[in-house]
Amino acid sequence: MTAVSIPRVNLARLAAGPAALAVGLGALAVAQGPGRFTTYAGRSGLTATLTVAAGLGLVAAGLVAALSRPAGRIGDLAVLAGLVWFAPVWVGWDKGPPLVRSLAMLAAGLAFPLLLHLVLAYPSGQLHGTAARVLVASVYLETVVVALGQAFFRKPFFDPNCWANCTDNSFLVRSLPQLARAIEVADRWFTAAAAAALVALCARRLLRDSGPARRALLPIVPAAGLLAGAVIAHAVALQRRPLEDPSDPAFRTIYALGCTAVILLAAGLVWATVRTRSQRRAVARIATSLGQAPPPGSLQAALAQAVGDPELQIAYWLPDAEHYVDATGRPVPEPVASPGRAVTALVRDGRRIAVVAHTAALPDLERELGAAVRLALENERLQAEALAQLDQLRASRVRIVQTGDSERRRLERDLHDGAQQQLLALSYDLRLARAQAQADGDSHTGSLLTEATGQAQAALGELRDLAHGIYPAILAEAGLGPALASLADAAPLPVEIGDAAQGRYPAAVETAAYLLVAEALDDAAGRDASHASVSAMQDGGRLVVTVQDDGTNRTSSMVQLADRVGALDGSLDVEPTRLQAELPCA
Amino acid sequence: MRVIVADDVLLTREGIVRLLRDAGIEVVAEAEDAQALLQHVRLARPDVALVDIRMPPTHTDEGLVAAQTIRAEHPEVGVLVLSQYVEPSYALRLIQEHPERVGYLLKERVFDIATVVDALRRIVDGETVIDPTIVSRLVGRRRRQDPLAGLSEREREVLGLVAEGMSNRAIAARLYVTERTVEAHVTQIFQKLHLPESPDQHRRVLAVLAFLRA
Repeated sequence: MTAVSIPRVNLARLAAGPAALAVGLGALAVAQGPGRFTTYAGRSGLTATLTVAAGLGLVAAGLVAALSRPAGRIGDLAVLAGLVWFAPVWVGWDKGPPLVRSLAMLAAGLAFPLLLHLVLAYPSGQLHGTAARVLVASVYLETVVVALGQAFFRKPFFDPNCWANCTDNSFLVRSLPQLARAIEVADRWFTAAAAAALVALCARRLLRDSGPARRALLPIVPAAGLLAGAVIAHAVALQRRPLEDPSDPAFRTIYALGCTAVILLAAGLVWATVRTRSQRRAVARIATSLGQAPPPGSLQAALAQAVGDPELQIAYWLPDAEHYVDATGRPVPEPVASPGRAVTALVRDGRRIAVVAHTAALPDLERELGAAVRLALENERLQAEALAQLDQLRASRVRIVQTGDSERRRLERDLHDGAQQQLLALSYDLRLARAQAQADGDSHTGSLLTEATGQAQAALGELRDLAHGIYPAILAEAGLGPALASLADAAPLPVEIGDAAQGRYPAAVETAAYLLVAEALDDAAGRDASHASVSAMQDGGRLVVTVQDDGTNRTSSMVQLADRVGALDGSLDVEPTRLQAELPCA
Repeated sequence: MRVIVADDVLLTREGIVRLLRDAGIEVVAEAEDAQALLQHVRLARPDVALVDIRMPPTHTDEGLVAAQTIRAEHPEVGVLVLSQYVEPSYALRLIQEHPERVGYLLKERVFDIATVVDALRRIVDGETVIDPTIVSRLVGRRRRQDPLAGLSEREREVLGLVAEGMSNRAIAARLYVTERTVEAHVTQIFQKLHLPESPDQHRRVLAVLAFLRA
């Protein structure tokens, strides 16, 4: 995740501009004077212009990038590479101070590693993937080893192929011409191989990254390819002609190509920086475009549009539930960073609010969100939290209703299988006893037993009505239509069943519809209705149940029915003499 | 008379069997679920099968389904369904396809052995038997414009007995009137209710029950 950094004034960066100007203009002076024959820049007005434009262009682009994104490493890399770019000119300062030329020798090799690092770390400043990290590290290491080897063991005077500096090496420990030569050749091919690897890694990123991240690479990759081509061509040319000659057309062309690549790279950096700035302004403007009461998810859509990343995702953190949800409150997995995708945690007062998964081309989103957007984020998080709680509540309401229903069924069965069987057995025994008493001529006991039998029968009848009231078996067995007909048979007022759905529906829906009609009929009878009409019809994916009566106006809000219907995600319309429920049944 | 008793509760089943035997009825087999019942019916060919409506596995309407199967496969075997439910729907369902030789009685009647034996006899005679509680629920049903309001007290009584599946002769015996009087009542009732008078007694039961339910 991108860390939040406090912007601070960096003195080194402030100094980099004047320093680069001094180094670059000094190099121009060297090239025009003592280095006329020992530098590419000294060979023509064109090479001089290209050299200065490439070096200063890199520094300028780096400063622009660094100033607009202080946290990014890209700008610093570009500034350093721009400074080092002039080193070969200083090497060719004929009769110049030996120490300056020797130091320039050391620095010259760094230009390629820095540019390679810049390209691979673009745009976030971070290296992604083992291959990129290994390549950058090994190129730096190789450059240091080569620079030290050449400094300690190469006496330019004994190098038959020397051209830019054939006299000075202030760091020489011992002259080993053969070793120096071997190092030089090895370095040439290693660098060529590294250039090829750079091309391969760039190609892989282009193939693997998604839309926005790939688009962000486009200003950089062609320049990187051209640079790598120039490096490889340089190695091949030296193999064919070991003595490098700046006046040779082949070498001169290769040098011009290298400069062009660097100029393009600098231009790409500037362009990308300008574009990121405009995105940043767009992000800052988001809040005003959202309006007063944006629907859930508007912020994500607006942010995605502002940064040009349609895959951008905002996940809100719910501290109580300890998981992430989207704007509508649905749980989502925690976003993780992947190639081309970065994850930014948004924190407010030390509390995590949300995590944004976005293109890696936008490295420090956290800083770019204005106060208004943060407020909108906080709002949307609260909204998401409320929606998530609503979902949970709805689920728990459904569970409560379902538990209640299955309890009703269980109770009904228990009454039939338990109490009723016991009562049946009791009345059987009573009849046997009565028959016995009659056989014995005990008419008093006989009449008592007759009375007891009658009471047992009455109890059976009451038990049956009770069980039916708890849960009518016919509802589970035959469905809503027959159950409603049965309800009408026993209703306390005339009931007309209009259209009654004969199909089967989920048990919860049938139960809700049945209980709704049963309660509505009781209610109608209580309001002195002389008749009621009932219908239950399927309309698309909904079962529409209507009970209309002609009683006085109802005062009850039928809240229990509303709860039950609501638990099924249905709606209940309560009017003075009419109830209508719509129950999703698909 | 040869009967089979099907009830999954041993206590109840044994009680019924004992009462039937005491009443001189031959119980040729006992079954504790619908499958065993159907097997016994096939093998023993009883006159009537006494079937509890609730049997394994779901304890809802297995008995009713078995009853319909028996009536469809063995027209000569009558079925008396014993039910816990005062549900006209079940009774209508039972007599819908084969209205003769079937009966639907509430379970608690089973120990009033005279009623059971009477029902069995009527079923063997090819009649239909509907529990009086079911009929009275249908007759007592609240109606907006009650067509039964035009019937006299006696006519309503006769209508109920017709709905219970009684023949004119049985109704006459019950009401201590002549069979001819009952015939006159029935003609009158059917005219008042605009029902086509059916010579077939079973169809007559079905027509009356369906009318009462409408």
